[in-house]
Amino acid sequence: MPERILVVGGGMAAVRLAEHLADDDRFAVTVLADEPHAPYNRILLSAVLEGTHAPSALTLRSEAWFADHGIELRLGARVLEIDREAREVVLVDGERLAFDRLVLACGSIPTLPPIRGLVRRDGTLHPKVHAFRSLADCRRLDEALTPGTRAVVVGGGLLGLQVARALSVRGLQTEVVEGADHLLASQVGPGAGRVLARDLRRLGTEVYTGARAVRLTDDGLQLDNGYVLPTDLVVLTAGGRPSTALARRAGLMVARGVVVDSTLTSVTDDRIHAIGDCAEHRRRTTGFVPPAWEQAEVLARVLRGEDAAYDGRRSVARLRATGLEVAVLGDPEHAEGEIVEMSNPIVGSHRRLVVHGGRIVAAALVGDLSRVGLITQLYDRGTLLGPDEPGQLLLPEAADAPTPLPDEAEVCACAGVSAGEIRACGTVGECVDRTRATTGCGGCADVVRRLVGSSPTPVAVG
Amino acid sequence: MATETHCPYCSLQCGMRLTGRRAPEVSAWEEFPVNEGALCRKGWSAAGLYGGRERITSPLVRDRETGEWSAVTWDDALDRVVDGFRAAQAAKGPDGVAIFGGGGLTNEKAYALGKLARVALGTSQIDYNGRWCMSSAASAGIRAFGLDRGLPFPLADVEEADVLVLVGSNLAETMPPAARHLDRLRERGGRVVVVDPRRTPTADRADLHLQPVPGTDLALALGLLHLLVAGGAVDEAYLAERTTGWEQVRDSVAAWWPERVERVTGIDAHEVRALAAMLAGSPRVMVLTARGAEQHSTGSDTVLAWINVALALGMVGRRGAGYGCLTGQGNGQGGREHGQKADQLPGYRRIDDPAARAHVAGVWGVEPDSLPGPGRSAYELLDALGTPDGPSALLVLGSNIVVSAPNATHVTSRLESLDLLVVCDIVMSETAALADVVLPVTQWAEETGTMTNLEGRVVLRQKAITPPSGVRSDLDVIAGIAERLGSTASFPTDPEEVFAELGRASEGGPADYSAITYDRIRAEHGVFWGGERLFGESFAHPDGRARMLAVEHRGAAEQPCADYPVHLTTGRVLAQYQSGAQTRRTRSLPDDGPFVELHPLLAGRLGVATGQSVRVATRRGQMTAPARVVATIRPDTVFVPFHWVGANRLTNDALDPASRMPEFKVCAASVAHA
Repeated sequence: MPERILVVGGGMAAVRLAEHLADDDRFAVTVLADEPHAPYNRILLSAVLEGTHAPSALTLRSEAWFADHGIELRLGARVLEIDREAREVVLVDGERLAFDRLVLACGSIPTLPPIRGLVRRDGTLHPKVHAFRSLADCRRLDEALTPGTRAVVVGGGLLGLQVARALSVRGLQTEVVEGADHLLASQVGPGAGRVLARDLRRLGTEVYTGARAVRLTDDGLQLDNGYVLPTDLVVLTAGGRPSTALARRAGLMVARGVVVDSTLTSVTDDRIHAIGDCAEHRRRTTGFVPPAWEQAEVLARVLRGEDAAYDGRRSVARLRATGLEVAVLGDPEHAEGEIVEMSNPIVGSHRRLVVHGGRIVAAALVGDLSRVGLITQLYDRGTLLGPDEPGQLLLPEAADAPTPLPDEAEVCACAGVSAGEIRACGTVGECVDRTRATTGCGGCADVVRRLVGSSPTPVAVG
Repeated sequence: MATETHCPYCSLQCGMRLTGRRAPEVSAWEEFPVNEGALCRKGWSAAGLYGGRERITSPLVRDRETGEWSAVTWDDALDRVVDGFRAAQAAKGPDGVAIFGGGGLTNEKAYALGKLARVALGTSQIDYNGRWCMSSAASAGIRAFGLDRGLPFPLADVEEADVLVLVGSNLAETMPPAARHLDRLRERGGRVVVVDPRRTPTADRADLHLQPVPGTDLALALGLLHLLVAGGAVDEAYLAERTTGWEQVRDSVAAWWPERVERVTGIDAHEVRALAAMLAGSPRVMVLTARGAEQHSTGSDTVLAWINVALALGMVGRRGAGYGCLTGQGNGQGGREHGQKADQLPGYRRIDDPAARAHVAGVWGVEPDSLPGPGRSAYELLDALGTPDGPSALLVLGSNIVVSAPNATHVTSRLESLDLLVVCDIVMSETAALADVVLPVTQWAEETGTMTNLEGRVVLRQKAITPPSGVRSDLDVIAGIAERLGSTASFPTDPEEVFAELGRASEGGPADYSAITYDRIRAEHGVFWGGERLFGESFAHPDGRARMLAVEHRGAAEQPCADYPVHLTTGRVLAQYQSGAQTRRTRSLPDDGPFVELHPLLAGRLGVATGQSVRVATRRGQMTAPARVVATIRPDTVFVPFHWVGANRLTNDALDPASRMPEFKVCAASVAHA
């Protein structure tokens, strides 16, 4: 009898778990997705809004895939309650589903900032107001975009900046309101935040930091400093909170998220697990895909009875928005270590590496992502660096100096001919006959033409 | 009178003329289309191989007690060989004897070797070093297209591409005359992209060079396909008409957005986008993979991922576009078609296919049931030598295993555990030096035979000079062994006669040579099996469609850790070839010995300067060589050329599950000042 595994949620973490449990007849897996469409890649929504990603290309795994791999996918299935005693969940329509193991992958729900007028008396959002969490949100916002529309994005975090850029790319007059004193405040310091704000303004988006939106009226969005931003749209991206209502009602220990140990198992009930945005491990919730996927992978191994533990040390957050360059590795504002920093407000770059014991333990790269791939590798792998390396990583790569060609330098590798031998020839034809230079790959033909009959003064190439 | 023939080295099989019957001289053969008279240093110096003092001209046997060699007659040598084989089979059954061949052997030899194994010895234990060369691309090609021909078009078609993507190929050094096509393509306005952890001379000729972490080419391909789908750049009509499996592939890449690709591959996301944009806007995109992409425990999946890119763009079968593999060894293509591979019969037939067995058995005049089934793949075969379940006698042709096998220290210990090791070679290679019996054989210009180059073009190497007395051709050796074993099947020794028989055996198979003759090859500058260009109308699967298979990035089997913090990759240099048994002995080729290429950042960390000795170590072994500090390699990666003993003591023997290719191209290593 296979173990019945119920997965609550159909987001990024849930799909990843399903992939790891696919085709394993020890398990009977059911995925309860509350959205009506096959699981899709949520982090691409801002690219869809921007118009650089086809909305038809979001699906992570089709319904057919689930069927082919022995997993039951139930779309539009909302869980009302967990009955821990009976080991059942209750759906909103009253149906009860039994489980041996329950996995909560419920994600997070957008936070509603305290803005008067946001919610109308009947409890619905003001028609100008948009959340940006789901495909439905994205579609609704997309439909609201008409030429000449003005938008205010509330929240200057990663998602806020992505959405702001997307709206701007779509031709909207866009403004960003951020309550903290600089953008991306939970990831980077004020210097980097200033660079970002300047980039955004250069791209045509006004930024208000240290300002809270307090009221939405027919005139627009009013800030606590008295300004009123006339707008047609208000997009809320001011973060989310772990979706924990089910867990709380079921009596599971919940702090900010569902509290789990390093095997992603609830500290209250060892038959219940939590992964992704709704989980809290070592007092941390994440809100990013890479740790959610790592958790899914670890949990799959745990469910298979393997020895696996989540340690959740390394995270990389990358802004995905045209014209803005941001990478945040770990927690550069709080990580312990020496700070190696290079700031160039003239070109608009601010880069910081936090180095502890010779290893990069955090980094913030804004405005200049050269070597981001390498820096990420060194961070992810915990490579022990030499004392000069962190600084060198932030310097521009030295361009190859033109190589002077002394007579003994090999010019034609195919035939093994030196510069001196070529200089000794009167013409290219003579050179070919005597040395066979240029007769192999042909790559040296240019240099040979310049060297033939020349004086032995060095010639610069490259 | 000049003899038209082909270079003894790589898969380009450049045409050349040889004059002089005693000390041959190389001259250009401009009319031969593949190289149009161009040759690299190895080709020009090919004749330097002939008649060196190190040439073996008499069969030698080694005394195991004293290690001394003594010359014996051919009869004596072959008797010893066959006595040893009989003893091994008496003790262990037919599979007690194994054969290890090579991708440099002619088609005739590869064919005869397979027949020797299956008919005269009755052993299933035969494989060859081509398993370590093109097998990942071969496996992927068969699964995707139903057929494996390295390039399904002539090499010169490269010039017609708008974008040429070279994944893990350094052809400017490994097959220099081929690099001329890149220049002509660029003169026409086309663009060249090179994907390689090193900025090689090939990358220097590219418009865009992406430098991934070794072992992550697959993730890059997934990321490109992601962007092509996102941008609506795929050819939906082509996909609907000519492929199956697209939907699952499409969904599988939704999870490979550029920033994720960046984190895995170490390639900046904007470079991934730049390449995708280049591909999306081009009417003719050609993707060519080589060993850099293929020699991985994920090699065949990596090739499939790149094939998916080419298929999604609707390129495969279009002229000047599509997918191809740049085969490595001289007869890498033909060597995998005619039966020296563990799972194959001539004509690229599968040995587990009853119809194939019946056909080939008919040509050989034996019962189909008498043919053994599939045997072990190359590395698994070597790993089994001398073990209770493995062969205790081995015959080696055209391979220098001690230098070229991964995890070489272990493989060498397996060779040393044999009861009988027989090596056919021209010189005392590192492998021959371990043998009990060394049989001196003819080489290249001393014999005639066909090779199938990287384009699937069957070419003829013609005998130009007289071999030294005392040596025999591999075909003679094979026939001599078969005769002493009492085989009733015939083993002709005239290459043209063998080729005709090979043609009959291959008839009706995927690689059908039955219409090819020596005369046609001479008249037509080589003959393409299957036609000059493939897949224009249909693929080789029964429904005529290409298969798109969703693959996932798994990464290298061995990842860097605290003790082994850098990636090690291996490859070739221009002046040497494979294990160097030939080129290291050619006086006009510089033999600078091995070296360790490392980036200034890493060199600074270690306090190492160019020329200083460094020690590279992995879980399997270590080597010491001078450092070359160059800014052209990734700072987290070191490179060692594999032509000398040492590099392969380091490499990993993790195998690709489909192709059984070892992971030569990446493992975790430590580097230190020696």
